[in-house]
Amino acid sequence: MAEKFKVLYYVNQFFGQIGGEDKAGMEPMYKEETVGPAMGFNSSLKGEGEVIGTLICGDNYFNENKEEALEYILKVIKDNNPDIVVTGPAFNAGRYGMACAEIAKAVVKELNIPVVSGMYIENPGLDVCKDIAIVAETSDSAAGMRKALPVMANLVRKIAKGEELGLPEEEGYIPQGKRLTVFAEKRGSQRAVEMLLARLNDEEFQTELPMPVFDTVDPAPAIKDLSKATIALVTSGGMVPLGNPDRIQSASAQKWGKYDVSGRDALTGEYCTIHGGFDPVYANELPDRVAPLDILKELEKEGYIGKAFEYFYTTTGTGTSVGNSVKFGTEIGKELKEAGVDGVILTST
Amino acid sequence: MKYRIVTNNPLAKKEFHNVCFIEGSYEDVLLKIRDLVYEGLDLISHPLGASMRMLYSPYRSIVVGQKNEAIDLFHIEIIENSIMNYRKNLEGRKIDWVHAEDYALIDNELLKSTLEDLEFSFNKGI
Amino acid sequence: MKLELRRIHIKDIQFGKTTKVKDGVLTVNKEELINKLKDDERIKDIKVDVARPGEKVRIIPVKDVIEPRVKIEGSGNGFPGVSTKMAQLGEGKVNILYGAAIVTVGDIVGFQEGVIDMWGEGAKWTPFSKTYNLVLDITPVEGLDPHSHEATVRLAGLKAAEFVGKAGRNVEPNEVLTYEIGSHAEETKKYPNLPKVLYVEMLISQGLLHDGYIYGVNSQKILPTLLHPNEELDGAVISGNCVAACDKITTYQHQNNSVILDLYAQHGKTLNFMGVILAPELTTLEGKFRTCDYTAKLCKMIGVDGVIISEEGYGNPDSDLLMICKRLENAGIKTVLITDECSGRDGKSQPLADTAKEAVAVVSGGNVSHVVTLPPADKVIGNAEAIATLAGGWDGALLEDGTLMCELNAVIGATSEIGYHYCTAKLY
Repeated sequence: MAEKFKVLYYVNQFFGQIGGEDKAGMEPMYKEETVGPAMGFNSSLKGEGEVIGTLICGDNYFNENKEEALEYILKVIKDNNPDIVVTGPAFNAGRYGMACAEIAKAVVKELNIPVVSGMYIENPGLDVCKDIAIVAETSDSAAGMRKALPVMANLVRKIAKGEELGLPEEEGYIPQGKRLTVFAEKRGSQRAVEMLLARLNDEEFQTELPMPVFDTVDPAPAIKDLSKATIALVTSGGMVPLGNPDRIQSASAQKWGKYDVSGRDALTGEYCTIHGGFDPVYANELPDRVAPLDILKELEKEGYIGKAFEYFYTTTGTGTSVGNSVKFGTEIGKELKEAGVDGVILTST
Repeated sequence: MKYRIVTNNPLAKKEFHNVCFIEGSYEDVLLKIRDLVYEGLDLISHPLGASMRMLYSPYRSIVVGQKNEAIDLFHIEIIENSIMNYRKNLEGRKIDWVHAEDYALIDNELLKSTLEDLEFSFNKGI
Repeated sequence: MKLELRRIHIKDIQFGKTTKVKDGVLTVNKEELINKLKDDERIKDIKVDVARPGEKVRIIPVKDVIEPRVKIEGSGNGFPGVSTKMAQLGEGKVNILYGAAIVTVGDIVGFQEGVIDMWGEGAKWTPFSKTYNLVLDITPVEGLDPHSHEATVRLAGLKAAEFVGKAGRNVEPNEVLTYEIGSHAEETKKYPNLPKVLYVEMLISQGLLHDGYIYGVNSQKILPTLLHPNEELDGAVISGNCVAACDKITTYQHQNNSVILDLYAQHGKTLNFMGVILAPELTTLEGKFRTCDYTAKLCKMIGVDGVIISEEGYGNPDSDLLMICKRLENAGIKTVLITDECSGRDGKSQPLADTAKEAVAVVSGGNVSHVVTLPPADKVIGNAEAIATLAGGWDGALLEDGTLMCELNAVIGATSEIGYHYCTAKLY
């Protein structure tokens, strides 16, 4: 019998059976045993491979000390030299998902070892790693563990043995977004005729090229009298007070911030950008280039607008998942609406 | 003047009078077109060619028309999409300078066809 | 109209003293063929060669592929309006040297691509690796302008197909296929309950090397026009298109248009096939509006329930494709589009140059940027230097041992947008 392939497993403090939220600050550690889901996963490998150890790290620790955490984790993985790494499944847990995703990305990129993870389709970690790792689709809560592990184990088995993966829907992973050219059984014209007949007979059919779906938002009605309106400034350009007090991420943002600018004439002087997606030289020279508080205040003085809203809202757009963007937008919008803001100037980079 | 040709193709510059000549790349031509469309000029010919191969061309000639009060949103969509597509397709590829003369020739011929389609008697206009 | 396509199965091509077909072997008198074609004084030199399935032969740069045939009953032998006198096509009997093809090679411009590999990996990607190919490498006289050069090569291919096709005149076919559809009124009376279906075939119609012809009329000059499917099967439509190797419609593919054949197979069973609309893809936006409105109008006038629309090329034709689709769907006519994609070498980019939410049913011929690795050939027919052009555009595509990495883009018929080939794209 061929040699068993080696799997190294990553879980957070909760699934690592260390503790709940109170232990989320724990530093990463390594155990040469199967802990938590790694145990069930190991038995799903049906003896063809085995989990050689489990890495455990607190979700808060990882997300707040990413560099240190990754350094330790990568070193452990390098020293143990597994054939494949498994992270999660993280279901819909945001911080756990980000950790699973960041580790997956780093392991593939830096160690060139394949990674399989498991996530719910809306997990913010998904966008970070899905094009580089294989992510099994799971339910949104840990109740789906029993279903997720065999799917992940099957993916791991195939990848470790160098077998080609089938279609995402057949294998249970989330599409990586690559459209690959393959041969169909029937020629294109035959498929077209059959598709048309299905349409004409009101039967089900599946397009081979789904059109992208764009989320369109109807514009609000125009503001009738600007001179009485309160206007707020919101940006995804990563403009934050010097020192980034709320530690907003420079990419793949997990949060947004709001800052009192009622006493300022401009952002310039106390703000800078932490955005990781563009060359910040010109933005930092004059932060109002990204979010023009200076002009807004001038217009307020001139009486062209009624009032510049006292808070300025900010986050980073680059790499931020659509799911998080929708969430941020909804939260910020709610606050602005409750504060009686009439209009918003939204700038991006 | 009904039509204007925006081009970086030296052949087209030689052959036609109503030319806005761009000392630059295919992409620069697209960007100029974008600016003109935002100023309200009609986009007369489609900014992209009809095959992948023509995207390797160093040269491109595009026809614009008269200036209007209102900006045509359909034209905006076409030129913006074209720029996106051009950049997408040129990622990791190189412009085919080896056959630059051939591309200049074909671009110029396609331009002539476009103008014929517009029933425009070229060589006479300004 | 009733057309009999009588297939004589060809199993090899040889050179010999007389041009004839015996026991499935096509023998061609090379000298006679060359002399015949050299009647055109614009031709300086012609090299004739044979490429058989399985041989380690690469043909490049391919201009057109044509099926050799002879009309033994009914009017219009050859390609009326182009190489022969005008005649109404679509009725009668045609003897076809099935399995043979005339392939013309000639670099009208240096950047032309279009490769046919007869063996191995490359053979998978082109339908013309399975035909016995009589390849004509045509060199025109010096100083010919590019329009005349293109026309010369185009005509030489058509004439060769006629010349070789004549060898089948008195040969008993191996199979006879009958294609018959009557007037709209007759067919509707016969099949009152079957959905009416039209096929809209779009043609690149944009100028030099970007043309198509219908009975010899440059499709640039037409409004969308209605054909009986038999007319196209009988040689009414020919290709003057030398770009878009992977998704252009060669003359051979017009003669054997797979959408027409597959719709015919369902005619009277599950649908009522009402005909083919040829729609030019023009360069001007006004022209595109005119074509798309007019095409939709024809479909509405005929009162069809469903339409298959096939594209030719990539880029500005994507706009026409989706504009026609939108107009038909909004008129309550169900559409299926056939196109190919340009989703980048990694398959991650937006596949079309344009999008429309109405395009709910699309057949994909594959990604034109899909990279294939083609080992070196033992023999190259045509211009070996053109191989560098295929590999052009990115670094490291032509290895020292002659192995070539190129995009499907360069392979004739690989991602056919009339669904002639078997490629598709799936999301991984």
